[in-house]
Amino acid sequence: MSSESQLLIPLHVSYIKALGDNKDDLAYHMTTHLRMNAIYWGLTALCIMGHKEALDRQETIDFVMSCWDEDAGAFGAHPDHDAHILSTLSAIQILVTHDALDMIDVPRVAKYILSLQQPSGVFAGDSFGETDTRFIYCAVNALSLLGHLSDLDVEKTVSYIRRCKNFDGGFGARIGAESHAAQVFVCVAALAILDKLDEVDQQTLSWWLAERQLPNGGLNGRPEKLEDVCYSFWVLSSLSILNKISWIDSEKLTSFILSAQESENGGIADRPGDMPDVFHTHFGVAGLSLLGYPGLADLDPVYCMPADLIVSKGLRKSWKALERRTE
Amino acid sequence: MHGVKRVGQSKEALGAKKQREQAKIKDYLALTDDLLSRKKDKDWSKEAFDLTTRLLQVNPEFYTIWNYRRSIMLNGLFPPSSPEEINSLLASELSMTTAALKAHPKVYWIWNHRQWCLENVPEGPGQDGADFHGWRKANWDRELYVVEKMLDADARNFLAWNYRRYVLASMPIQRPKVSELTYTTRKIETNFSNFSAWHQRSKVYTSLWDSGSLDPIKCQEEEFELVRNAMYTDPNDQSVWMYHRWLVGSGKLYITVGALRQLNSTAL
Ligand SMILES: [Zn+2]
Repeated sequence: MSSESQLLIPLHVSYIKALGDNKDDLAYHMTTHLRMNAIYWGLTALCIMGHKEALDRQETIDFVMSCWDEDAGAFGAHPDHDAHILSTLSAIQILVTHDALDMIDVPRVAKYILSLQQPSGVFAGDSFGETDTRFIYCAVNALSLLGHLSDLDVEKTVSYIRRCKNFDGGFGARIGAESHAAQVFVCVAALAILDKLDEVDQQTLSWWLAERQLPNGGLNGRPEKLEDVCYSFWVLSSLSILNKISWIDSEKLTSFILSAQESENGGIADRPGDMPDVFHTHFGVAGLSLLGYPGLADLDPVYCMPADLIVSKGLRKSWKALERRTE
Repeated sequence: MHGVKRVGQSKEALGAKKQREQAKIKDYLALTDDLLSRKKDKDWSKEAFDLTTRLLQVNPEFYTIWNYRRSIMLNGLFPPSSPEEINSLLASELSMTTAALKAHPKVYWIWNHRQWCLENVPEGPGQDGADFHGWRKANWDRELYVVEKMLDADARNFLAWNYRRYVLASMPIQRPKVSELTYTTRKIETNFSNFSAWHQRSKVYTSLWDSGSLDPIKCQEEEFELVRNAMYTDPNDQSVWMYHRWLVGSGKLYITVGALRQLNSTAL
């Protein structure tokens, strides 16, 4: 297997560009339920690699708008798919990245998101009512980008997150659920957006997060599990928000992410030797940005979007990444 | 994608694979288009319902089709049905998704769909008494059995653990909480590094101590014994150390509370 020591930017750019050309591939059609997210992952990775132009702006915006669900007042993952908070957040992130929020009825989308909050404070993913701390993050992030955070009952929202906190400092998907790196990220990032990081037991959580690193440099999502590029990002972004990246070995993590690259056709996989996909490509590149990898643009770990955009919207929080290296 | 090994395939092999897939893609897209347009037309027929079964067997991630399937039940199949018929429809729904779950244990939509089915099981067959909860009880008991099977296959599947907690909390006839201690003991003894089971145990103990059902000090002594065994078996395992950390921390808490209570009672 390849043990690359460089980020293969041109290959990854062409890999992402080619994703839309796979229409003769069954897998392409079987993953329409993730298309909106996939475009957000691809676009964000391209921005971080300095190749935003690789996906046509107008085509992208047209696709996003074709997923509008008029009955619900939000976005589905693909034309004629039902609105869901996951695809709605991705749609908003794409539109913000392309400075095209004026395409949508912002108050209506904000209303849809707020309608998903349950009496306990948690958010449902859609009208069928699955609840998860992930959806709290989607709601808080989206409302913040839409400039409608002031419509949210912050205490009610925070109180649910508080009840998901475990003895190890981490957070789970629901009350009583085991701590899990992805759920830690969504809770910590949501609290950061709400300026409520004092809810986090920072010492204990940072210890738990740092314990995720394995001897091969990769990070897992829970104790005694395998390392993975996406979990590496969730742990790393949480540490960045808590200003504690120095608690892990960043050099080893950098080599782990680089070793998960596919060196023929581009893309990053969950771990070395596996099939790449746009999800891990995005989280791999995003992680390398936080690790100060040379030549990349800054990523905002709270919103998981290009940092300059978040600064220009006046939304930057006090996270800290490693300083960008020059070579 | 997780854990899918990269296989070096020649251009010819890839080309042949794509060729074979063309017919499948055509069928899949035709079925998708048919269902999405039926959905737009609010087609709540049994025929449409059966088509959703076909599509979901191919692609259980297609959340819009799960939504459509539930809409068909709510708007088309339930209204003319007796409670008995609704109960058997939901029971067959649960059986169908058991097979899907075995093949796709980490697909959120399948777990959600089961939860929705459970919550829609009607009361009955009787009007009152034990019979009133008969159908609900039978379905929820079976659900616990299914989730245990899922946890036998993958003891760390967090979707299954989340679902288990949901089932336990919402059963029409609650099981005694201590039985969950027995369950986690069994899981831990099978594999000491199952942190999911240790975590569950910490939650069960906390709730039993808070409610006064068990004496924390006595439990902690026994618990340290279990932890020592686990550490002896595998001293490098993080799960046990984390649980130990919790146990020590909780011990302090309850010892303090206990000491205060004692102090109070002597003062009185
Ligand atoms: Zn992953």
